[in-house]
Amino acid sequence: MATIDTHGNGLSSPSWFERIPAYYYFIGIVLISMPVFAGDFVLFQIFGWSFILGVISLSLMFLAGYGGMVSLAQMTIAGLAGYMVAIFGNSAIETISQGWPWYIAISLALLISVLFGTIVGWLAVRTEGIYTIMITLAIASAFFYFTRQNYVIFNGFSGFNGVLPPRLFGIDWRHPIAFYYLTLFWALAAYFTVVYISRAPFGLALQGVRDNARRMAALGYNVTAHRVAAYSFASLLAGIGGILLTWQSAQISPGTAGIGPAIDILVIAVIGGLRHPIGPFIGAFIYVLLKTFATDVLISFGLAGERFQLLIGLGFLVIVFWSPDGILGLWQRFQDSRNRDPLTGRGGREL
Amino acid sequence: MNAPLPNSSRMRGNGAGNALELRGVGKVFGALAALSDINMTVKPGERRAVLGSNGAGKTTLFNCITGDFYATTGTIRFFGEDISVFPAYERIRRGLRRTYQISLLFTALSVLDNVYLACNGVSRGRFSFRRPRRNDAVMDSAETLVRMVHLDDVRDTLVSDLSYGQQRQLEIAMALSGAPRFILFDEPAAGLSPTERRELVEILTNLPGHVGYIIIEHDMEVALRVAESVTMMHNGRIFKEGKPAEIEDDPEVQALYLGGEGHG
Amino acid sequence: MGSFAQRHPIWAAIIAAAVAIALWLIFAIWPEWLTDLIGAKKIFLNALFNGITLGALYFFVASGFTLIFGLMRNVNLAHGSLYLFGGYVGYEFATWTGYWLLAFPAAFIIVAVLGIAMQTLVFQRMEGEELRQTLVTIGISIVIADLLLWIWGGDFYNIQLPSWLIGPMDTFFITGVSRRTGEFIFLKYPMVRLVILAASIVVGIGMWLLLNRTRIGMIIRAGVDDREMLASTGVRIQLVFIGVFAFGAGLAGVAGVVGGSFQSLAPGEDIRFLLASLVVVIVGGMGSITGAALGALIIGVAEQFGSVYFPTYAVVLTFVIMVAVLAFRPQGLMGRA
Repeated sequence: MATIDTHGNGLSSPSWFERIPAYYYFIGIVLISMPVFAGDFVLFQIFGWSFILGVISLSLMFLAGYGGMVSLAQMTIAGLAGYMVAIFGNSAIETISQGWPWYIAISLALLISVLFGTIVGWLAVRTEGIYTIMITLAIASAFFYFTRQNYVIFNGFSGFNGVLPPRLFGIDWRHPIAFYYLTLFWALAAYFTVVYISRAPFGLALQGVRDNARRMAALGYNVTAHRVAAYSFASLLAGIGGILLTWQSAQISPGTAGIGPAIDILVIAVIGGLRHPIGPFIGAFIYVLLKTFATDVLISFGLAGERFQLLIGLGFLVIVFWSPDGILGLWQRFQDSRNRDPLTGRGGREL
Repeated sequence: MNAPLPNSSRMRGNGAGNALELRGVGKVFGALAALSDINMTVKPGERRAVLGSNGAGKTTLFNCITGDFYATTGTIRFFGEDISVFPAYERIRRGLRRTYQISLLFTALSVLDNVYLACNGVSRGRFSFRRPRRNDAVMDSAETLVRMVHLDDVRDTLVSDLSYGQQRQLEIAMALSGAPRFILFDEPAAGLSPTERRELVEILTNLPGHVGYIIIEHDMEVALRVAESVTMMHNGRIFKEGKPAEIEDDPEVQALYLGGEGHG
Repeated sequence: MGSFAQRHPIWAAIIAAAVAIALWLIFAIWPEWLTDLIGAKKIFLNALFNGITLGALYFFVASGFTLIFGLMRNVNLAHGSLYLFGGYVGYEFATWTGYWLLAFPAAFIIVAVLGIAMQTLVFQRMEGEELRQTLVTIGISIVIADLLLWIWGGDFYNIQLPSWLIGPMDTFFITGVSRRTGEFIFLKYPMVRLVILAASIVVGIGMWLLLNRTRIGMIIRAGVDDREMLASTGVRIQLVFIGVFAFGAGLAGVAGVVGGSFQSLAPGEDIRFLLASLVVVIVGGMGSITGAALGALIIGVAEQFGSVYFPTYAVVLTFVIMVAVLAFRPQGLMGRA
């Protein structure tokens, strides 16, 4: 882990763009030119969905990896943002949708989801860490049942359809290529923001709180305030993901933020690895690939296509058993083993 | 030695009067009275040692003063202000600091990160989302502190890779962050080699005159060398108070702790 | 209770007043204005007793959950799956042998065995890694849920009650006065629910006695308080863990048979009862059997009253209670601060 950038000891320090590793550029070029090789389905369904789920899982990773708080309410916050955009903006349910301009609808949606996330955080952080999972799961299911039964605001079981992104600059943002760039942009923005913040005082303090809350209090930090603030930031990420998710399928319903999807976000974050912001995106990509092609794989093995959940569950168990740090953990151990002195076994990075 | 840069820690109280004043402080855990009827007055800049056998309540006393937990009875005043019900972070922001008997450090972060966190905790910008820029004041004071405790060459090493002695040095550095007015040192010499102990005594005696401290120690050599007054505790109560020489010669103290012939 | 009243006189007064009002509502004959305001007393009594019996069912499930957490710090999110599995096992046994009562020991034993397997093969290896254990329970619940769906499908299963349990029973609660004869009308209530309520009280008292009056109970309570200390006393702590997990799992399995008898079994019931356990334990306090009982009672009654009197917002009432407890007493009503 790189430490805080300080003024160099008399040496001229390289400018920021010289310090970016080469493979970043390579990946960047591949990502930006993807529409050249990939078809509409891959762009929209595979990459688009991966970027969206990645952003929502990133919000969980931020809380869990940097803050030590595993929140199962991230999908709920995302769903709330999606609902708000449908309610304040345009949808096919004209009786409820307000039809306000996109900039108002989106801002309100994000504001409300951040507010909601902050309250969830405040409820969840004042107890011991292990309760967070329970409390957030209970809140997530409350939201699911409530939206399913409430017809006045949330239109109950059917939810909202016809929720489309605004036609900015004359572009239909649900067109596969445009959508790809839209989700890519937000995925990159979320990723780099989290990476940057992790080394800012706020991020460092959060990690300190994760490692030793008592010590942080004895250093002058208001531990509860930091944790709640972390939830607020994470809610912003989840909200953005939720709005994109709603636009992708052009609809939102109680099942979108149900208990299954809420747990799936945790599964994605854990499979990818909670140590680094790239983990959620790796996990999301694997999940999307599995979900898209698992049916065919299962059938070729002679099992019914509906046994997808079984596959996911078993895969998840395998990962938690053998590599609790997810794919990133496997990668780390692989790198360590390569750097290790074959004779003495020393080297690599002990962590 | 220069004091660390004063940050915006709020200085309450007029500084005159007592740095620390405990009246009737007690702490009860279920049926166990860990502390009873503690009355203690420490002047600003005073250097005091708290001695006593294991279980005498010394660390519990510290925990009550810093707010790691709340005292069951009594009041605690810090520079004239009643901090008895303040949460820990409020007390720290008023200039109180402490080290722990078993180092509580952030093992996954580097030495500089740890000190930076300590300095940041008592300054503004705790919630800042921006990375520190080149001339950041907090970063400067962190670097100064790291140099002051001779950890400059390992400043980017992860704490988990440090030696025990280095970790204890880091604890001290963190206690000196910001503009401390009073520090509580909980057995800082435990497990240190003789050279390291000498360095510790040097650091303690060279602290600025206005910074008072209380040191808990088992090592009499260190304690009696750096303290100008001694409080002896036994079974959660204060047993005797006086100057180091008086305490050393006191027959009751000798019977209880020094085995009658100085410590071995 | 006396010390509680001394320390919190206002709360004690409020609770006493609430209990008095509740008793009056239950036993007195309602005046006309009350019936006009909130409906017939019969509906009220039915909702109340349905709530209490539902609470009894929740207690069965939640007590196992809270024991497992209290002792082993393991948030067992597969608890709902154990419930559903036990219910299906009970159904098969009852239909195979024809005896409803045999379903209970069968479910208890089989699910307890599964619990033993989970503890020895999986959780023992992850001692101390609380998050990892919880993640594993999530994975296990996903796998079990899908296996159950595969084997038993999506239909609703109902365990057939024996004839001696079917039908209503006369109770001594007065619902009104007959206009014709002037005699009291008494409430008729399903026998099976009363039996379940009685059973859960027996089980609850049994558990309380086990925990508070036996040596093994003392060991468990000591472990809940301080696990490391208990291990250092030489007690075979792993055996205690296995025993507690097996018992908690078995209890969930038995609850499944109960639920399958007076409600039904279907995919989704596992999640429903897991969530109920979560809410009950959040409200009642973790690691406390009395807390589970109190929480289950409150949540059961709240759910029933909600669905009878505010049907569109039934869910809200339960979660408002949970949020209120979290906001004002985060450790739960009977939890330790």
